[in-house]
Amino acid sequence: MSKVNVEKKILSENDRVAIENRQRFSDAGALVFNIISSPGSGKTTLLEATLDRLADRTKILVIEGDVSTERDMDRVRAHGADGIQINTGGGCHLSAKMIRDVLGELALEAADIVFIENVGNLICPSTYDLGEDIRMVLLSTAEGDDKPMKYPSIFHEAELAIITKIDLLPYLEFDVEKVGTEIGVLNPECEVLELSALKGEGMDVWIEWIRKRLEMKRAACSAAGE
Amino acid sequence: MHELSICQSMLEIVEKTMVEHPNATLERIFLDIGRGSTVESTLLSEAFEVITSGGPYEGVELVINDIPIAGRCRSCERDFTYEEFALGCPSCGSTDIEIHSGLELDIKHLEINED
Repeated sequence: MSKVNVEKKILSENDRVAIENRQRFSDAGALVFNIISSPGSGKTTLLEATLDRLADRTKILVIEGDVSTERDMDRVRAHGADGIQINTGGGCHLSAKMIRDVLGELALEAADIVFIENVGNLICPSTYDLGEDIRMVLLSTAEGDDKPMKYPSIFHEAELAIITKIDLLPYLEFDVEKVGTEIGVLNPECEVLELSALKGEGMDVWIEWIRKRLEMKRAACSAAGE
Repeated sequence: MHELSICQSMLEIVEKTMVEHPNATLERIFLDIGRGSTVESTLLSEAFEVITSGGPYEGVELVINDIPIAGRCRSCERDFTYEEFALGCPSCGSTDIEIHSGLELDIKHLEINED
């Protein structure tokens, strides 16, 4: 019996493709979000409300990940986004290769922002780098305030957490402060925003957050291009 | 349940490695899987059995080194380990902690029979 050293990350191939994707996004000057949450926490509704506030001045592409149907793509198209739907056919997450395979079909050069809406799942997508700039997680008030500790990995990985559906707070026992504290312990660098995409509360802060990051990305891209 | 696709990625690495040992039989695959990696060891073993069934790697043993989450408290400067993610230092309760290990998803080495 002999030993053969391997010493590799199991997802090293995914990570390699993610680095390629990141370079292609940066070459195009696009700011890329990977949006992760459980099903029904309001990813598509947040995208609709975001498009309504940004799409007239900003070119936005959306890559929709779902097990099946084009429904989410139809919804964001109605709000001014171009993009593409990926159906994973049972797969519980998007991978860097799935993103690479559709990049040729997108007008990336014209894009300012790319939103990748991952498959609704709080566990599996957190392991797969897609080449995004910002990994963000959504948590709706209706899901309960125990989610960060129940699904710690994604909160550990995310740069931004958004508590959605805050218009429902009067009807729920959801402790916003506790959630903020627990996310802060899992990941001190993670920023936490609160909003209602449906009613508009908190949307201004989110839009401003995007604008700032877009400026930073443009500055970084032009510095790299010089 | 992404253990099947983790298994596929692992087997791609194994196949590439085994190309350099064309006459060898693969006996065992050694993995480091952290408790905070989102991969569940039992499900991974089950997925491995399903995916290798009927193929050249049927019966190969998957040896999983289950790694707890370990870190250090910046307040009391004690090292600690957790079975799972937890809030704060188990000694002093401080939330100012850093995690060193427990996120691994690595293939370490193979054991092969070359005769």
